[in-house]
Amino acid sequence: MPTLLLTVLAAGALGLFLAMPGGRTLGARLGAVALALAGVAVLTALGRHLGTGPWSWYLGFAAVMLFAAVRVITHGKPVYSALYFVLLIVSGAGLVILMGVEFLAYALVIVYAGAILVTYLFVIMLAQQAFPAAYDTHARQPFWGCVAGFFLIALLATRLLLPGVAAEAAVTGAPAGELDNFTVVGTRLLTEYVIGIQVVGVLLLAAMVGAIAIARRERPAADAGRAGARFGATDADQGAGEEDD
Amino acid sequence: MLLATVVLGGVLFTLGAVGFVTRRNLIIIFLCTEMMFQGIILNLVAFGRYPLGGRVLFDGEVFALFLIAVAAAEAALALALVVLLYRYRGSLDANAYTQLKDE
Repeated sequence: MPTLLLTVLAAGALGLFLAMPGGRTLGARLGAVALALAGVAVLTALGRHLGTGPWSWYLGFAAVMLFAAVRVITHGKPVYSALYFVLLIVSGAGLVILMGVEFLAYALVIVYAGAILVTYLFVIMLAQQAFPAAYDTHARQPFWGCVAGFFLIALLATRLLLPGVAAEAAVTGAPAGELDNFTVVGTRLLTEYVIGIQVVGVLLLAAMVGAIAIARRERPAADAGRAGARFGATDADQGAGEEDD
Repeated sequence: MLLATVVLGGVLFTLGAVGFVTRRNLIIIFLCTEMMFQGIILNLVAFGRYPLGGRVLFDGEVFALFLIAVAAAEAALALALVVLLYRYRGSLDANAYTQLKDE
């Protein structure tokens, strides 16, 4: 059993290495095929474990998540990586709906995909060159990265899928009675975790103040080297004006 | 069902880690950190929904909600730093920021 699992994981790691951006066009197609075969093997094993019925949706969401995750890290253009990440989050929201936590699914789509990823897209478009830059089209030591990833997932998967662990984790907990997910989560957030909500509010305020303080535009004239030349006379003028006092 | 989700969360975490060490674009490096967060969220939801003993109380989901808030704060600060670095140096390449290296 571990041999088959390790073979599938090794095929996945090899396919990931071949699909990394770095100028291996034939290798990219071979890598896509190897990754697809490894993914199909994993999902077939999972399908045999789950049986038919409503859990076929689970397989669909898992397949889309894996495909989107691989495309996030292997696509050459950052905007496409961010958009594939949005696909990952939406399919992840579908997956957690299947497990009965609807509030988290809505929070994922609204906060993660709708706020955090949109911020990422804005910053990617702010800091984008006109042509695909060299730091996007060439990965940094992809072979050793994929070897390290293979070791990590091999350790995790073989330890998780040992026969003893599977028997222990075969419980399916009963849902929380008559109340729906929103009622239970809302009640717990406002009774047991109310201090946590206050602390998270302070944390978000501090992060907002910190982000504005870090990225504000008035810098001293000492910084107006290449940045001043790029952004015109605005920063240099402000710097010269401040230095006169 | 618990095992499948935990393994899927582990695979997402590993893919995020591989992308983190492999890509050179600063923003994509932070995006892979967010992908690691996604794997952790799947783990939390799985262990909250299928606890190994006791009633289902959606503890993992509450943990995941706080994790989303922390991820938002971290993303704001990381992107502010990336904007500042890009304004200073003009490049998003992780290999261009080597002033703290020993040699």
